[in-house]
Amino acid sequence: MTETIDQHQEGKRDVTFRVFRFNPQVDSKPYFDDYTISAERGITVLRSLNYIKEHVDATLSFRAFCQAGICGSCGMRVNGISKLACTSQVWDELDKCREPGIIRVEPLRSLPMIKDLIVDMDPLVDKMTRYSNWVDSTMPLAEMGKKEFLISEEEFQQYDKATDCILCASCVSECSILRANKEYVSPAVLLKSYRMNVDSRDGIHDIRLAELVKDHGVWDCTHCYRCQESCVKSIPIMEAIHAIREDALESRGPRDTSGAKHAEAFMEDIEKKGKLVEATLPIRTNGVVWTLRNLLPMAMKMIVKRRTPPPPPLVKSAKGIKVFRAMFREMTEHVKQDHLKSQKK
Amino acid sequence: MKRYAYYMSCINESMTKEVDRSIDFWQKDLGLEFVKLHEGTCCGGSNLDYVSPKHFALVNARNIALAEKMGLDLIVSCNTCLMTIRTAKKKLDETPALKKEVNDILKKEGLEYRGTSEVRHLLWVLVDDVGLDAIKAKVTVPLKNYRIAPFYGCHILRPSKVLGRDNPLAPSSLDQLIEALGGQTIPFEHKNRCCGFHTLLVAEEESLNVAAEALEEAITLKADFIVTPCPLCHTVLDGYQAKALKQAHIDSSIPVFHISEMVGLALGYTAKQLGIKRHIVC
Repeated sequence: MTETIDQHQEGKRDVTFRVFRFNPQVDSKPYFDDYTISAERGITVLRSLNYIKEHVDATLSFRAFCQAGICGSCGMRVNGISKLACTSQVWDELDKCREPGIIRVEPLRSLPMIKDLIVDMDPLVDKMTRYSNWVDSTMPLAEMGKKEFLISEEEFQQYDKATDCILCASCVSECSILRANKEYVSPAVLLKSYRMNVDSRDGIHDIRLAELVKDHGVWDCTHCYRCQESCVKSIPIMEAIHAIREDALESRGPRDTSGAKHAEAFMEDIEKKGKLVEATLPIRTNGVVWTLRNLLPMAMKMIVKRRTPPPPPLVKSAKGIKVFRAMFREMTEHVKQDHLKSQKK
Repeated sequence: MKRYAYYMSCINESMTKEVDRSIDFWQKDLGLEFVKLHEGTCCGGSNLDYVSPKHFALVNARNIALAEKMGLDLIVSCNTCLMTIRTAKKKLDETPALKKEVNDILKKEGLEYRGTSEVRHLLWVLVDDVGLDAIKAKVTVPLKNYRIAPFYGCHILRPSKVLGRDNPLAPSSLDQLIEALGGQTIPFEHKNRCCGFHTLLVAEEESLNVAAEALEEAITLKADFIVTPCPLCHTVLDGYQAKALKQAHIDSSIPVFHISEMVGLALGYTAKQLGIKRHIVC
């Protein structure tokens, strides 16, 4: 009870914002400025930054607009996590500080810096262009504006969530692969691509998919789920990425790319042995030449340490494999029936 | 004795055999009995779910049903197997039509997926079921001279709606285990980051960059070793370590242990017994 009253009474306190500063025209390297302000309970990180800009340091730069979690402008890293400053409560952030009472504010990662908390969104926009992140309508030009182009409720359900994306780039900033290679398509662009590719009004599904399966595309996602976890709109981004892969396997076949071959190997091995045959996975994914060139030196070390996966004949099938295989194949028949039904539709 | 069904991950039967072997040494010491599921099959490794969502549901309903038949929870010692089987369980529990379709097929083997067994990680069993105090009481060789970097990996934390045991932004279970064993856990920024395993064969350069970042931090922090609850993370951080560090122009190395080995060491088993000598970096 006492604790509740104390918490209630603590409506105001001094909070330090340790803010990333960098002006490439003047500074040789980035640095941090500490701003200590008296903050009220209920105030957001964005309102605090606005206060600092208006009353403490007018040179501090950041982007913001709607202040209500709608426009996606104020994406930044607060205490290390990419999110919207306008929907982040100072009091909540105080619980997450590494140094008590000091909230760290930094720009998003993996995008070029412009000044302080402002990053350049152009690389993201360029990728949205490269992957045609719009509906290229199948409606003839002459009919446009003259009639409605309706979609079913069932179809809308498929991309209802994906349309919530406000391009705040939090997922872009958190993505593991983008950090490792700036050429990577990035989660937001994959999400948009998925959303356009399942839209029945769109006419360039195949062209978009052909771009998505190339290098730095959909198969380079490493399933770390950081994008989904950081999404400010709780969009299941990984489901969209998996759906593009499912579509790629279906539309372009399982031999299309190394990513497709790798994924398909799991299906083959499970049906055959109930277990993954790891020894041949690199060859089945990338061929003999790639495997010898890339993995031979490591394979030698592994042989010495007796860590090499057993060759296919020595991989023991799971116990009861015969019944398992029959059940697996029965499910294959179910899937075939499902396809026939959906084609009829 | 606490009994569990133990899921045998493909990688632990091939490349990281030391995981299951080291558990066998100490399970009785901690009052645990793991019944190995030899009938279990590959979970699909975070790939089957999009290659064929229905086969994915069938295969993992069966894996769980095998444990349910024995009335036991299913224990997993690979992060990706954990995430994959839990994802299937969530899907089955939320989709009665799918559950029925799968159960109609499972009848052939006299199995039924009911949703009664939990699917949990070995780390959670140690921290939550055995308990930190009970573990402390069994420690004979405290790891007190070691600075240890805890590397949780992704699929024991994310997606948090499927995992839910640790806060994905500030996980603590592995840190607690390290401390219970007498070790010193170090503040490791990369503790909840990715190892890059799942793109090793598709985008190797990117994967190795991801791994190198984590290795570099652990080396810079002068950790004595990294410990991970996932054999896939181990395969990258140990097996691919030399390649990753070479790509990042870092001339150093750091050993990487499985949690099962770390527990074994603290309970008095030797590095040789536990299979630590099988690592690429020793």
